[in-house]
Amino acid sequence: MIWVSWGRDAGSGRVLARDLGGSSRKAGSWNSTGGTEGLRVIEEGASRRRRARFLRGLLGLGVGFLALFVADAVHLRNPPSAQEGLGDAFVPDPAVADLASLGFGAVVADFYWLQAIQAVGGDVRITPELGAHLGKLVDVVTTLNPWVDHPYRFAGIWMTQNEQNVRTANRLLRRGIEIHPGDWRNHYYLGFNHFFYLLENAEAAEVLEGASQLPNAPRYLPRLAARLKSESADLDMASVFLQELLRGTQGEAARESYRSALDEIEVEQRARQLEAARVRFRELEGRDIEAVDELTRGAKPLVGELPSPEPSSLPASLRRGSEWIVDPSNNQIVSTYYGRRYQLHVPASDRERAEGWARERELREAAGR
Amino acid sequence: MTRSLQRIWPIATNTVREAIRHRLLYTLLFFAVTMIGVAVLIASLSYVEGERIIQDIGLASIRLFSVGIAIFVGIGLIHGEVDRRTIYTILAKPVTRAEFLLGKFVGLLLTVWLQLLLMGLAFVGVSLLVGAPLDLGYAAALFLVGIELMVIVAVATLFSSFSTPMLSAFFTLGIYALGHLSRNLYFLGQEADVENVRRAATFLYRVLPDLETFNVSIQAVHGLPIPATEVGWAVLYGLAYTTALLSLAIYIFHRRDLE
Repeated sequence: MIWVSWGRDAGSGRVLARDLGGSSRKAGSWNSTGGTEGLRVIEEGASRRRRARFLRGLLGLGVGFLALFVADAVHLRNPPSAQEGLGDAFVPDPAVADLASLGFGAVVADFYWLQAIQAVGGDVRITPELGAHLGKLVDVVTTLNPWVDHPYRFAGIWMTQNEQNVRTANRLLRRGIEIHPGDWRNHYYLGFNHFFYLLENAEAAEVLEGASQLPNAPRYLPRLAARLKSESADLDMASVFLQELLRGTQGEAARESYRSALDEIEVEQRARQLEAARVRFRELEGRDIEAVDELTRGAKPLVGELPSPEPSSLPASLRRGSEWIVDPSNNQIVSTYYGRRYQLHVPASDRERAEGWARERELREAAGR
Repeated sequence: MTRSLQRIWPIATNTVREAIRHRLLYTLLFFAVTMIGVAVLIASLSYVEGERIIQDIGLASIRLFSVGIAIFVGIGLIHGEVDRRTIYTILAKPVTRAEFLLGKFVGLLLTVWLQLLLMGLAFVGVSLLVGAPLDLGYAAALFLVGIELMVIVAVATLFSSFSTPMLSAFFTLGIYALGHLSRNLYFLGQEADVENVRRAATFLYRVLPDLETFNVSIQAVHGLPIPATEVGWAVLYGLAYTTALLSLAIYIFHRRDLE
């Protein structure tokens, strides 16, 4: 008997042998010795093949897992770098992006908007380079979908590291004003940038005057514009500006920066009250104070009680027992909490920076002439 | 006319039946609905305007996947009939080639409109879920997507009347891309100093479909007014352009050697 093929019975699942004649019989009912032996060989062969198939499957699975492990290991060795680190080329030219978006401008704009948000998320320090990168992202976003709302003010909040970035932010804010002429907030941020970073009070007044006519604009805007026009920019005005910005800003880092500036203004206002009392003290006593608490002493104390030298928003756990002193370096009353006075309407560092920008601008203009 | 419609309708319904058996249709539909849902996760990355981002992605997914279905399901319909030789059986009956082609077009159009309806329902569901605004502007946007699909199906029908599925897909995708660029090309051309370039840009603008006419997604999402006249002109333009494409397709198909 020559065995040429074998298979399984569909009903019982048992192995069937087929001879040349094509007849098939159930394994159990095979009578001849040679036939049983042959069947055993066939069953063993089938079993070996099943085992081999199983092992091949197992091997394939193993290779698959190994490849996955290698891919993961290689992937982990190449941590994703921040996209701003990939250079400006990563952000397309707005006109090119507009062409390439093929009618999907809104969703491409959303993609770049999410990139901009991710770039400032966490504890990232906003360097001038990152600020410029944000400007490019917002430019693409607002070109592809000019009707977006927040990105214009996002540029106003985050692009303040150097004069160029502030000017770019102002250009974007002006684009926002063109698209949303009835929204006073873009005017407000533009006015703030002119006043706070560029020391351009006339421009700030003009922008705020326009904003004051718009629906839902705060009632104090005309007053703010008038003060800017009279060039009597003072602490109260800076405080009002900052409070409004704080109210309209959602980014926690930016809010913290505004809160901190407001705290400094609060302490500065108290220092100015003490300075005023000190002037009266000199007039009455004919001499200057030796210590600040002298203002609370005497038959007719000029100050009932010294105000707190620390911001009122400071939690009790963070209070460090600061006091008022007369700074021997400049003979000014200062709180030891800050160790310096808040000059005019912007923090000293910001003021110096803005004045530095103004000087550079003058030099550039002079060189141009 | 009525008799002709009576002959077109069975071909159209048969095409719908054939198309809805296409596995690719369900794959693309699945991805579209998934994208509309995933938009919620993507939008959560932004601390502002999340609802707008959800709707931007939703409408873009609907447009992208609808066109994908129109192209990749549509291009093989005529070729399949020729390949399987079933076209001879149909044309042996009192059905003209024009009626056969129109039946195929209507069938495919009904299929893509049906899946547009399903995607639209998914979009409305997600918008309601996240509390995003829904008004007539969205209905206008989806309606114009339907008109754009009509033009794309006509383009696919035109190319599949004389070309292979692969080439038809390639050409239709090309026309889709150019259709969304035609306005930009026109404006760029008008800035050229050479008169012939300006003329060529104008010619292309008038010949190519201006698919941006049907794109009012941004206006819908931002609640900007979409005048009824704008929608009306877009519908008229879509109908006229589709008629022109189908006339050309019928002319070519009549002269095609089906042996």
